[in-house]
Amino acid sequence: MDENLFGLKKSDLEQALNLGLSKGGEFSELFVERRAHTSLLMEDDIIKDTAENVVLGLGVRVIRDGQTGYAYTSDLSEEAVHAAASTAASVAAGGAPRKPFPLKETIPVREPDPLRIPSHAAPLEVKIRLVRETYDAARHFDPAVNKVKVSLSDCLQNVLIANSEGLLVEDRRPMLRLGCLVLAEKGGRRESGFSGGGGRVGLEALSEAMSPAAIAADAAREAADLLEARDAPAGEMPVVLAAGHSGVFIHEAVGHLLEADFVRKKTSVFWDKLGRRVGSGEVTIFDDPTLPSFRGSYRVDDEGTVPSKTPLVEKGVLTGLLQDRISARILRRPLTGHGRRQDFTCPPLPRMSNIFVDRGEFDPEDIIRSVKKGLYAERFLGGQVEDSGKFTFTVSSGRLIENGRLTRRVKHVTLIGSNLDILRKMTMVGSDLAFGLPTGTCSKDGQDVPVTDGCPTLKVSSMTVGGSLED
Amino acid sequence: MAADLVEKALKAGAEEAEVHVAEGTEFSVDVRLGRIENLIQAGSRSVDLRVILDRRTAHASSSDLSKDVLNGLVRRAVERARLAEPDPCAGLPESGDAPPDPSTLGIYDPELSSVEPRTKIETAMLTEKLALEDRRITNSQGASLETNASTVILANSKGFLRDYGVTHCSLSLGLQAGGTNDRVEDFWFSSGVRWKDLASPEAVARTAVERTVRLLRPKKIKTQRLPVLFEPLMTSWLMGFLFSCVSGTAVFQKATFLADRRGEKVGNGLVTVLDDGLLPGLPGTRPFDAEGVPCRRTTVMDQGVLKRFLCDVYASRKLGLKSTGNADGGGVGPNNFYLRPGGRSAEDIIASTDRGLLIVKTLGHGLNPVTGEVSRGAFGLWVEKGEISFPVSEITISGNLERILNDIQDVGSDLDLALGLSGPTIKIGEMTVAGT
Repeated sequence: MDENLFGLKKSDLEQALNLGLSKGGEFSELFVERRAHTSLLMEDDIIKDTAENVVLGLGVRVIRDGQTGYAYTSDLSEEAVHAAASTAASVAAGGAPRKPFPLKETIPVREPDPLRIPSHAAPLEVKIRLVRETYDAARHFDPAVNKVKVSLSDCLQNVLIANSEGLLVEDRRPMLRLGCLVLAEKGGRRESGFSGGGGRVGLEALSEAMSPAAIAADAAREAADLLEARDAPAGEMPVVLAAGHSGVFIHEAVGHLLEADFVRKKTSVFWDKLGRRVGSGEVTIFDDPTLPSFRGSYRVDDEGTVPSKTPLVEKGVLTGLLQDRISARILRRPLTGHGRRQDFTCPPLPRMSNIFVDRGEFDPEDIIRSVKKGLYAERFLGGQVEDSGKFTFTVSSGRLIENGRLTRRVKHVTLIGSNLDILRKMTMVGSDLAFGLPTGTCSKDGQDVPVTDGCPTLKVSSMTVGGSLED
Repeated sequence: MAADLVEKALKAGAEEAEVHVAEGTEFSVDVRLGRIENLIQAGSRSVDLRVILDRRTAHASSSDLSKDVLNGLVRRAVERARLAEPDPCAGLPESGDAPPDPSTLGIYDPELSSVEPRTKIETAMLTEKLALEDRRITNSQGASLETNASTVILANSKGFLRDYGVTHCSLSLGLQAGGTNDRVEDFWFSSGVRWKDLASPEAVARTAVERTVRLLRPKKIKTQRLPVLFEPLMTSWLMGFLFSCVSGTAVFQKATFLADRRGEKVGNGLVTVLDDGLLPGLPGTRPFDAEGVPCRRTTVMDQGVLKRFLCDVYASRKLGLKSTGNADGGGVGPNNFYLRPGGRSAEDIIASTDRGLLIVKTLGHGLNPVTGEVSRGAFGLWVEKGEISFPVSEITISGNLERILNDIQDVGSDLDLALGLSGPTIKIGEMTVAGT
């Protein structure tokens, strides 16, 4: 253990964990983190702003009988840590104190993914160059482009997790994000486009498909294309989801309601469906935190569990859930390593990491050819789901499908459905699995965590498309 | 500490410096089915720094307040500012009028800290229990009670050094009704500055139950254009969207369809929108904004005419306007931003609607300030001959904000300013509702 990182010794941790159990708690846990975050922004042709943010803090969680007490502090002095541990312990007031196991260091099974050019250590000048390159490429991509905003941010998070079962683990998690927003204007109409690159990678990853020029072109092309797009139709019709970006659809329509807290509370429509058929036999869905270098990846989750590739739906049958400790214990299911938190001020929740629909057997072109009249959804703004299974997600750009061919561009349309219905209607799954932009963030109960979503070309045989009739 | 850090930044080479220190305590309890799920209690402190030299800006922030860390942050911020490029609009506000005395604004409840955790837990428990007594309710997503108290200190190199305290509390409850496969859900809440601003557990429970059970056994409807009514909570998101379209940041970035429209009529005569940071006793009220500019009352739209964009100092310089006291740290934020109410009750507006859809809940993110397009998943209640007749689900509503503002036919009297971004019940002449 790197004793310099937080200035905490093993005995300090054991003492705090003991204090957490002093009022009858069954389980106590410490989550300590230090994050160093830097960012820069280019706008109006100048490097306009830079920022450095430091986050340091410790969260103490005490569980008794499914009830959680939580306290945190950004002061790591013995006094402040003990005060937090006692506060968290009070949720269990009244019981007899218990002893934790002696702490035993765990090493994450996987080596950290090597970063050739760690962004957090790179000189600011190098990052300024990348930002400027992206900015200039976007500015000159199309005469309609009239405004560009480029930001680059990186973060290095060091975490230490210890609990009363004796677990002690540390992790080091880099993150990089380059984002490019383009506004285009023509004939009094304005549109925007966005693209980005990054993940748990170093600056070396900003090359080829994720090079500044490629990211700029992708964002500028989206804005320019949208200037030519028209309103979408309204009503029920087949929808083909493009490979990659459409992963957000799976994230909303299926992923959230397989987070085990909603299942143990029986608020999710899936709560009584484990082992049962919930969708078409074409559909297999995984969540995999172990994919190397993805934005949603990690070697240990925020409860110290080593994660694994988790099957959720296999050939239409619901086979797995995304677990955190509390839920796994209540549901008597194995841990999957999906306990995540935004930062030390938040207790962990079951969350997605990198969720995707596995590749199917259909040729993507055959999928489009099978639709007489429908919508091809290409890019998305995000979506939302409620526990009942009703969800929406908003398509920023797409195409019409007419007689099996992609025709005119359409913009900004919201799709709505109910997840069991849509899962049954996923009748064709393509062989072209791809992942969406490595810039995604998911919000739940006020906590934001980085995620990635993926999916092959996918056909939903019928869903409600919320275009406007006018035009 | 704030003034010390300003001093340090100047010594390190900054021409101007601004330091924010926020200190607060948080209490939150989630209860579900009569038991505590989560109980969070903590205190926190953080510091934010802005330095400017030669019109070049850099920011830093930290929750680690140790001397070495802060010294390093200040030094590196000055170094980074040198690498940025000069921006003629950068810099602190000019010294101006003194902000109002915070004690006249009623934004701090000294009694909140003396409310015992036990009382807070029992309040949440009681709220849920009362709702679960209704047999139509089949599950609970839990009740939550949160209280916060914080102090904001702002110091800058132009001699500004002031602070104020704010408190906030909220009580909320989420419910489900119906069986596993035909389930509906909704929630209700109450929030305010003072403990006594919170609605009673009975009132929160009753409204949450009513809102949930009225969604049971929804029908789908055909795609059509028809009159649409928004409940206050819906008008609230519409005002949030309007705010993002009149924010000075979006205007100078040309990221809003209203960017070049100041002075023009962009809505009809029923639409008057204000931003008021000085209304006593409300969550959106404060004496001065994140840059120390006194908060004020700004008429954003007057009977449909777009009068004013809301600005921080930077956006105001970009646009050649004056700051409206809307700096929120990262850019421009609302104070109490609301649609001025009309004279009719919501009941009267519904009663005068021959055929229409009352929108009660939305899902998703389909708002685009660049174009003004609105496209969201929605839940509604069908209105027929002045009466609510059945719930509707799996629909989307779509339209364009400018067209909506020009097509508002009625504005209700039921404004709840505690929402921060708020507006009363409104009736819109026609929107596209997509269904089957």
